[in-house]
Amino acid sequence: MTTVDHSAELARAGANVTGWASRTLFLANRYPLGAFGAVIVILFVFAAIFADVITPVDPTSTNPAKSLMAPGGQALMGADFMGRDMYSRVVHGARISLAVGLGSTALGCLIGVIIGLASGYLLGWFDLLVQRVIDIMQALPLLVMALVMAASLGPSLENTIIAISIPLIPNVARVIRSNTLAIRELPYVEAARAQGMSEVRIAVFHVLPNTLAPLIVLATAQLGAAILTEASLSFLGLGIPEPHPSWGRMLSESAAEYVRTAPWLVIFPGLAISLVVFGTNLLGDAVRDLLDPRQRS
Amino acid sequence: MRGSYPRAVALAAIVIGSFAASSAIAQKSGGTLKISHRDTPPSVSMHEEATVSVAAPMMAVFNNLVVYDQHKPINSTETIVPELAESWSWSQDAKVLTFQLRQGVQWHDGKPFTAEDVKCTWDLLTEKSKQKFRKNPRETWYTNLKDVKVDGPHQVSFHLGRPQPGILAMLAAGYSPVYPCHVSPAQMRTKPIGTGPFKFVEFKQNEFIKLAKNPNYWKQGKPYLDAIEWTIVRSRSTRILGFVAGEFHMTFPVDITVPLLKDITSQRPQATCELQPTNVSVNLLVNRDAPPFDNAKIRRAMLLTMDRKAFIDILSEGKNDMGGALLPPPEGQWGLPPERLAKLPGYGGDMAKNRNEARKLMQEAGYGPNKRLAVKVSTRNIEVYRDPAVILIDHLKEIYIDAELDIIDTSQWYGRIARKEYAVGLNLTGSSVDEPDAYFFENYACASERNYTKYCNADLEKKMVAQSQELDVKKRQKMVWDIDEQLQLDGARPIISHGRAATCWQPEVKNVTMHRNSIYNGWRWDDIWLDK
Amino acid sequence: MASYLVKRLLLMLLTLFGMSVLIFVMLRLVPGNIADIVFEAAGMIDDADKAQIEAELGLDQPIIVQYLQWIGGLVQGDLGFSYVSEKPTIEEIGPRIPITAKLALMALIFSIVLGLPLGVISAVRQNTKLDYALRVISLSGLSLPSFWLALLILMFCVQYFGTIPIYTRPPDTLWDELLLYSIPAAAVGFRSSALIMRLTRSSMLEVLRQDYIRTARAMGASNTSVNYYHALKNAVLPVTTIIGIEAAFLIGGLIVTETVFNIPGVARFLVEAILWRDYPIVQNLVMFIALVVVVVNFLVDLLYVVLDPRIKYAD
Repeated sequence: MTTVDHSAELARAGANVTGWASRTLFLANRYPLGAFGAVIVILFVFAAIFADVITPVDPTSTNPAKSLMAPGGQALMGADFMGRDMYSRVVHGARISLAVGLGSTALGCLIGVIIGLASGYLLGWFDLLVQRVIDIMQALPLLVMALVMAASLGPSLENTIIAISIPLIPNVARVIRSNTLAIRELPYVEAARAQGMSEVRIAVFHVLPNTLAPLIVLATAQLGAAILTEASLSFLGLGIPEPHPSWGRMLSESAAEYVRTAPWLVIFPGLAISLVVFGTNLLGDAVRDLLDPRQRS
Repeated sequence: MRGSYPRAVALAAIVIGSFAASSAIAQKSGGTLKISHRDTPPSVSMHEEATVSVAAPMMAVFNNLVVYDQHKPINSTETIVPELAESWSWSQDAKVLTFQLRQGVQWHDGKPFTAEDVKCTWDLLTEKSKQKFRKNPRETWYTNLKDVKVDGPHQVSFHLGRPQPGILAMLAAGYSPVYPCHVSPAQMRTKPIGTGPFKFVEFKQNEFIKLAKNPNYWKQGKPYLDAIEWTIVRSRSTRILGFVAGEFHMTFPVDITVPLLKDITSQRPQATCELQPTNVSVNLLVNRDAPPFDNAKIRRAMLLTMDRKAFIDILSEGKNDMGGALLPPPEGQWGLPPERLAKLPGYGGDMAKNRNEARKLMQEAGYGPNKRLAVKVSTRNIEVYRDPAVILIDHLKEIYIDAELDIIDTSQWYGRIARKEYAVGLNLTGSSVDEPDAYFFENYACASERNYTKYCNADLEKKMVAQSQELDVKKRQKMVWDIDEQLQLDGARPIISHGRAATCWQPEVKNVTMHRNSIYNGWRWDDIWLDK
Repeated sequence: MASYLVKRLLLMLLTLFGMSVLIFVMLRLVPGNIADIVFEAAGMIDDADKAQIEAELGLDQPIIVQYLQWIGGLVQGDLGFSYVSEKPTIEEIGPRIPITAKLALMALIFSIVLGLPLGVISAVRQNTKLDYALRVISLSGLSLPSFWLALLILMFCVQYFGTIPIYTRPPDTLWDELLLYSIPAAAVGFRSSALIMRLTRSSMLEVLRQDYIRTARAMGASNTSVNYYHALKNAVLPVTTIIGIEAAFLIGGLIVTETVFNIPGVARFLVEAILWRDYPIVQNLVMFIALVVVVVNFLVDLLYVVLDPRIKYAD
């Protein structure tokens, strides 16, 4: 079993902490890199939520006078060749990126949990079938799978989320399944069963909560991968279409052409992707350390 | 190449020098010319494709009956010169065009070129022969061509339904090579045989198109180059970096957009770059049969809100041209002159006033700040389509239209357009030869497959036929202007701008002449040479 | 062991069969087919000609028949013809495979050479400044989009060397080839190296905590020999797994890298073939990738047995 009692963990670390503020401080102190990651992620979430408020210009409005303007007073991060403000576009891009990252991770986890739970619980032919389908899906690299999916669904925000979520399912399903297998044999589950609790109720109320920790670990790890996959898809022209300001799209063909005359077109969106993925990775590491002591570093 | 040697020049060449003013005194033979190529075309068959991706590399493999003088930058009726035909003559009624063919010309596989080959080629194009092209994009050029007759081993005649002086212009286009009778259309797609200065060597998807010198070329002592290599590089930024780093002698034709040109000229000041029309216009397709754009007021409001100058400033830093359907002067021979253009709605005057008028029209149609019209602007998932669409959406905001971009996969685009499953479409239209017959009938004739908006005006179509028959060039030009003006007044397919872009080459490439009013016609390249 | 091998082989076949169905169905869900693409450049769709092309390629037949024809051919070693080039599929894919294979191998070598020692150092110097720095570097390796890294490298090369490491013609010598592929391989291998480094570090730490290491130390083995010999030997095990998984992942990373560096390998070719709706190419290529992934995973499992005698595969 991989769950861990938070307070016990905190207590063991010798902290006498109560209240969320001091707990947060304690955690930040214990996982400085994780705290740093959390700050980055929070910043991006903040940017995504208040994008309209904190940017002066509509990210899609064109302006011939600002075409390829260098970063400066009039445009904080410069402007692209259509005179669209890069700062506005990068900030609004956070929305797209986080929407795709969170959306596809959530969707992939949801489906993965259902399949994994059912598979580990029902066993039998259903489990066998699921196992084989997972084998098949894992025989293709994530990006290849997402590529074919994106091509068959067509370019749009929703379809990109779906295309990226599907290759995430096998990982989640596999982890949830193995956890389910372990938990269903535990004494308290047996006890619940003896008390006449229905199998569905057992699955939902006893087994599921206990698989949450590995799920959170997995989900934070997948978040970064999902954001990177979106960027790659958009870079290849199969992801989010214009005029949505997607970071990957901003880096694709047109920006690359101005790599020397207007390097800000390449630098800022690339930095944004790297930073947000970096943040989720740091956070993911800390969450794993916290929730999965076996892999503690 | 190290082994190359300076070539003594025959006296005759100096005389010819008056034709080819740009040719230098001492050509050198040998060397491989390396050019970057932008994409992988579906096949390398000239007659089956309609893209410069095939026209530019493959023109050097073939010969035409007649061709535009390769060193006159402006193509016109006066610059057409003989090639496989040594001469041509018109019948009295201007309905029969007879060619005397060159003798002793060989196909690359050693078989002799004869009049039969000419007949075979145009029978294929008019779909009279048993064998068929997989597709035949230029069928519309020859709707007036009734028959090609072999009058003797070295004479053929083209029989027309009505007089059509413009057919000579189309025959002189790069797209009109003579194909051999003895090679199937299927083989021409993968391993074509021509009579031209270079033999086709290999086409590898995503990698290259390779040509090698034809040692038996019928022009003595030519070509100068040993080989031409077109390297396919999908990403334009990589192509440009390759040119700047000296990997390529030349860029793909009109590959360098205006904003990128500065970069190249600063990085590679010794390179020659020529900015010229791309022969491609950005235009709007409006579905005039379906609401809301069946309402003429809304259509007119749309014409008025488009700020063409803003489009041109953004897309090309002001270098693109405003124009009607045909390529505008000075390069274009048939386009509307500026003074007539300026009088058209949306082509000049005060933008604020235009937009006020547009808003008034929209209000009359029942829309306003509180009742905005939602539409989709469909376009292809290609940068050159998307960019103007984004600007258009921005301009539509001004007149209570909230437009959303609807990106359509390339494979679906023409099908969707043909089924009229769109409200507003942003389209690009190219023309490979500066000739009204090649343009009007294809894009505006009621029955044409490529008349995407199905704008149909029987009266105007009669005028199109009339201009086509007119032998007097000046008179014909006036007729063409009238037609073009009417098309713009009717908003048949509102033209936003005509593109301009540049082609660059390194100083060691000699004797290059870019054709200013067509990027499709100047690639025979039998006298290009490398100074190394 | 023998029955385990048989079972694994059967499962591999089953996976490949499932993959063939999956890719076949998914491709047909992609809107449009080769006929649409062929006509796209001509600016029109001619329905009669389109039907003609579909009939010639057998695309008008029931989907089951199409599938059986493909699989039937595949079993006999006949991969069919590319729709676009009209050449045999094997001639199109064959020459491109070694290019991608070399690139992937170089990337893998790069990632091991960089990742393994840094991971060890990071573990041995746990919680020092060096460890933190290395962890941040490895995490940034996982965070940089490989195409962005590639673009920055190109930018840098043009700026400072006046030349760029892109593929414009086949390299003449092996040395040229290695040189040409080294930068793209590094760009794509950086990510894997980060992963290997992280995994090496955590498995090392786990091993270092275990009893027998303590015993070895207590018995007077020097720290260095403990760290590098005993610990690494055991830590290598999980790292092998990740190498197996990364081999598959590399193909994904290579798609964008081959695009940026214009390398004519199979990874980029796959994207083009999808855009072209060139079914024979996509189907056979995907099957090939799946085969490689499945076989690599199988070999990694076998390697496990060799590396760790404690693991025995029962049926």
